[in-house]
Amino acid sequence: MAATEGIKQHHSTWSPYDNNGGTCIAIAGSNYCVIAADTRMSTGYSILTRDYSKICNLADKCVMASSGFQADVKALQKNLSARHLIYQHQHNKQMSCPAMAQLLSNTLYYKRFFPYYSFNVLGGLDNEGKGCVFTYDAVGSYERVGYGAQGTGGTLMMPVLDNQLKSPSPLLLPAQDATTPLSESEAVDLVKDVFASAAERDIYTGDGLEIVVVNAEGVKREFLELRRD
Amino acid sequence: MFLTRSEYDRGVNTFSPEGRLFQVEYAMEAIKLGSTAVGLKTKRGIILAVEKRITSPLLEPSSVEKIMEIDEHVGCAMSGLIADARTLVEHARVETQNHRFSYGEPMSTESTTQALCDLALRFGEGDEDSMSRPFGVSLLIAGHDENGPCLYYTDPSGTFWQCDAKSIGSGVEAADIALKEQYRKDMTLEEAETLALSILKQVMEDKVTANNVDIASVAPTYHLYTPAEVEAVINRL
Repeated sequence: MAATEGIKQHHSTWSPYDNNGGTCIAIAGSNYCVIAADTRMSTGYSILTRDYSKICNLADKCVMASSGFQADVKALQKNLSARHLIYQHQHNKQMSCPAMAQLLSNTLYYKRFFPYYSFNVLGGLDNEGKGCVFTYDAVGSYERVGYGAQGTGGTLMMPVLDNQLKSPSPLLLPAQDATTPLSESEAVDLVKDVFASAAERDIYTGDGLEIVVVNAEGVKREFLELRRD
Repeated sequence: MFLTRSEYDRGVNTFSPEGRLFQVEYAMEAIKLGSTAVGLKTKRGIILAVEKRITSPLLEPSSVEKIMEIDEHVGCAMSGLIADARTLVEHARVETQNHRFSYGEPMSTESTTQALCDLALRFGEGDEDSMSRPFGVSLLIAGHDENGPCLYYTDPSGTFWQCDAKSIGSGVEAADIALKEQYRKDMTLEEAETLALSILKQVMEDKVTANNVDIASVAPTYHLYTPAEVEAVINRL
């Protein structure tokens, strides 16, 4: 203490992290998966851009949507894309969505004590062609679910999805199929509705909505306007 | 022959002027001294069978291990220097478990074989934990993955081939001829067991017993036959 007495102690306000906001959701159906995110990127009360994609195509049948700190999300996306390229060279195939899910979990946990500030949902098709969704926390704890919402509007959307899609308890034995009974177009409509609602109440969600649908035919992208205020 | 080789067969990583690596070729010779092993692919899975040379009645037969499990879905039969094979198998076990840890899925048979061959080629580099000479062993790697059953054959040069049926070891010539004549793609697992053992019987000096052969199947998971199960196959010969 005596040694530091003469040195003026600055109260540092600098943080390595920022929260750039945004919301991501994914819904799994019997033969499709819908992954969606808004395109607003904010810092505090300022909007940095109204047109920034939070969705990343990692493999043929695997899509990740991430919100949180843009720089960390970008680094995570680059890391996973590079790992996928190496995987393709080593194994002569595309990584499956459940394999990518495990890799993402490990990647996040390896930065357990200086985490990627990113909140992810991973969606796609599993080896049987069924829709799959994986939700994560920032340090890699993950779960396969029927639907999931992450980011600043996630807490607003989740109860609506629970109400509309009611997934079986993950504690039930034998394990119940968590995929939603909705058709692909019904799921896309539900996504549009929940984003329109979240954009009303969450200042970090708005401007545009990017919807990606993965099914046996491939990957489709759709874009929609949201409120800009 | 000796004159041309004498200058270039000492260094393990020196090519001869004709472009040959003699130490690798000598390692392949070592396999021709080994006990015979056979592998056959069927629609349902792979059968591996090996001859165990029980040199003394005082020897415990189960301690002669020439078919080993690499992962739940991959097994491997070996011929040549078995101690070398153990190093390779240990490496493959680590690789397959790492793959499970990273991706939550079993490693494909081809990737497992590739990982083994990567190590087989990593000799003569001079560092502490790498091998000073080529591995004097040949492997038959049997696996089951999303492409169904697969059989691979590797040699000391680190090269690998995919086969429907293959033999290695001292009986390779007779056994490969017998396989070419008798192997059919539409064999059942039971027919493959019988063919594998009848080929071993042809090339073995001793009478086939439940103690001096090992059989394993990967259909779709690895299973090493118990002496009773081997006895049942012998009775069908």
